[in-house]
Amino acid sequence: MIFRAVEDTDLIRKACRGDVEAYNLLISRWERRVYNYLLRIVANREDALDLSQDVFLKAYQNLRKLDDPARFAPWLYRIAHNEAYSLFRKRRPEGETEELQPETLEGAATLGGNAVFPVELTLAVSSALHKLTADQRETVVLKIYQGFKFEEIAEIVSAPVSTVKSRLYTALELLKAELAPVKARGVS
Amino acid sequence: MSCSPFDVRDYYFKELAENERRLTEVHVKTCAHCREELDRMRGTEIALLALPDEEIPQRIGFVSDPVFEPSAFRRGWEALWSSAARLGFASAAMLSVALLVFSLTRPAPQASAPSPAITRAALETEVSKRVNDAVSMAVAQSESRQARDTQALLAASDRRHALETQEMKVRFEEYIEVERKRQNATMLASNDAGSPTGDVR
Repeated sequence: MIFRAVEDTDLIRKACRGDVEAYNLLISRWERRVYNYLLRIVANREDALDLSQDVFLKAYQNLRKLDDPARFAPWLYRIAHNEAYSLFRKRRPEGETEELQPETLEGAATLGGNAVFPVELTLAVSSALHKLTADQRETVVLKIYQGFKFEEIAEIVSAPVSTVKSRLYTALELLKAELAPVKARGVS
Repeated sequence: MSCSPFDVRDYYFKELAENERRLTEVHVKTCAHCREELDRMRGTEIALLALPDEEIPQRIGFVSDPVFEPSAFRRGWEALWSSAARLGFASAAMLSVALLVFSLTRPAPQASAPSPAITRAALETEVSKRVNDAVSMAVAQSESRQARDTQALLAASDRRHALETQEMKVRFEEYIEVERKRQNATMLASNDAGSPTGDVR
């Protein structure tokens, strides 16, 4: 059970009145999740960190436009989605559809210096994720890693729920096929 | 092709409504194919979760600097325009103030400025008065004309009566004269018959 003396909605209201400390507390609750979401989309730690800072700056500047503080999470991820896709457009030459090349995320296999998952599986997952299209990968990240509902994902990526489900289930079929040899070797 | 009444993948992600979830749950208990599908979903998810979250390399934080902080007026202004409810309330408040100012500064209604109802009543009275005057004048003129005609008729009658009286008087005098002459003649004749020698004197 996570006990929060102050709810996010209270922090948002205080931040709207110019309370920077309240906003910093709000950031501390969300920065890791937003960073990892962006990291799995752009596959580059430096870009993910820069984008995360931009996301929280833009969120602060537009916080007063958020009508319902209870909808903070989809709203924040919507900003992150826009920032990530803005980066894609900047980096991608005109007319080229190939996506960004992911950096090697070997470090993902360790957490605090201790091995958490077998390196082989972690690398296989990272590689499989980056064989998906950007839209499919983002949907998988939002559903599997961030735990959003279909309706929230649809709001974040500005697409119908049916499209979101189609992207997710197609991506999962592809991932299942990609990861089957690794799992067959007994690494799971 | 799923044999489940609802998509078992939606069931796996807990995206079904309560009644749909119960129906699918009953189906899955008796359907080996759907259970295998669910197991594959679970296996794929577990594999994906092998990729753990990373710690953010650098904590994000902002410092409060009045130079970069929007002013209270700007914050209020932006808050007003960013909320339909606040904007609506502000509009209603402005309308109320405008009505109040108008009611306080409106000049008093002038006494000479009649209301539409009063103007109509006065107009009807004036028209009625003029009609009555015109009728009275017409009646007076008619009576005067009749009086003049009557006077003229009376005068003509009087003149005719005077002429007739004069004529009758003349005729009576002529008759009297004729009668007197006839009586004289008769008397002379009778005198002549009473005295055979002639002179009676």
